[in-house]
Amino acid sequence: MATLRRLREVPRHLLVCEKSNFGHDKSRHRHLVETHYHNYRVSILIPECGILSKELKNLVMETGPYYFVKNLPLHELITHDFINTFVKKGSCCALTYNTNIDEDNTVALLPDGKLILSLDKDTYEETGLQGRPSQYSGRKIMKFSAEESTMMSYFSNYQIQEHQPKIALSTVTELQCPVLQSSALRGAPEAACSAPELLDWLGAVFSHAELNNEPNNFISTYCCPQPSTVLAKAYLCTITGFILPEKICLLLEQLCHYFDEPKLAPWVTLSVQGFADSPVSWRENEHGFRKGGEHLYNFVIFNNQDYWLQMAVGANDDCPP
Amino acid sequence: MWSALEKMPAPATTYERIVYKNPSEHHYMKVCLEFQDRGVGLNAAQFRQLLISALKDLFGEVDAALPLDILTYEEKTLSAILRICSSGLVKLWSSLTLLGSYKGKKCAFRVIQVSPFLLALSGNSRELVLD
Repeated sequence: MATLRRLREVPRHLLVCEKSNFGHDKSRHRHLVETHYHNYRVSILIPECGILSKELKNLVMETGPYYFVKNLPLHELITHDFINTFVKKGSCCALTYNTNIDEDNTVALLPDGKLILSLDKDTYEETGLQGRPSQYSGRKIMKFSAEESTMMSYFSNYQIQEHQPKIALSTVTELQCPVLQSSALRGAPEAACSAPELLDWLGAVFSHAELNNEPNNFISTYCCPQPSTVLAKAYLCTITGFILPEKICLLLEQLCHYFDEPKLAPWVTLSVQGFADSPVSWRENEHGFRKGGEHLYNFVIFNNQDYWLQMAVGANDDCPP
Repeated sequence: MWSALEKMPAPATTYERIVYKNPSEHHYMKVCLEFQDRGVGLNAAQFRQLLISALKDLFGEVDAALPLDILTYEEKTLSAILRICSSGLVKLWSSLTLLGSYKGKKCAFRVIQVSPFLLALSGNSRELVLD
């Protein structure tokens, strides 16, 4: 019986859903964006929109650059020179490239100056440093993201490349879309969908899944949560790379201003996915990769400045703050 | 007269926080089917039939009827995003692992990503190539 039960089990996952208003003094939206450091992908969905505003487009195009440095010794990150030039300015993040958090040694630099090393047992013993065991289980290629273009000249002795995030813009037409009420996080029967349903639907849209299948369809029975409406069009924007929290804050602020003028859209969304192999999720909360390594969050920004925030993590993660 | 856009704004909502533990009824898998020899093609229906027969071979008729959806399918690369009820994830994953051939041709499933959150499958940071 125990074997049968184990066959039906899945790794623990958590979804935190919050609702608030941007005007509230104690709203934590800024803090939660600023403390999620290693962001891989930012996606924006704007219902009933065919073209981005100039301000939003400029912000989207200016989310980079980020830098890729090969064979950088770790000690370069703790020199006085590096700390004075980049760390003290407060906007420098780094993460080892192509290291799997569940297999390899991984290093991350946080904007507050903390250097996080996630090491296997042998490497840990060799370093002789004081650490603590993971709650849940050398010379590497590094990648950085920084405000300063002095990064290129600082690491000119190493192979450094500058990269721009990849940006994908598209519109979809005749999109089935859940009906939401900003005050009803759990949804309301026959009246509004819940926050988890919205998050699921958003995943289907960005994966380009068919949303309108019949219940007897052989291939897929997935359909949009109900109640739903049909949008004439929607604008999708995706930014992929190594994106600073500050840039995401600017995008969030600009999306809040989307409703300064009357719009057909009832809400817009901003979704952010973290690097699966980052050693931290929010702040210094340990992050691990069990089966998925996901740590992501999503804002639903309503036209009355109410917002929903969903934060999702997998098995080897602390509960989001 | 008020137009729809000039209605009095609703009062700001109050703060609420809900923590869901294991809320997802489904898990999502991004998979890719690789053949040893080139030139083997399957359409979406054949692909689904292959998944069903993999489940049936390992777990029998009952589990071959587990609710399984192919949310996206790309015939050119034989890659798909699957949706399975959470209680069937282990059975589906193990069936895919142990599937070795299709119509006598050697093949293997590669499981690229798995998550209870479909949004996580729209991007894979392990695919970021910088060299």
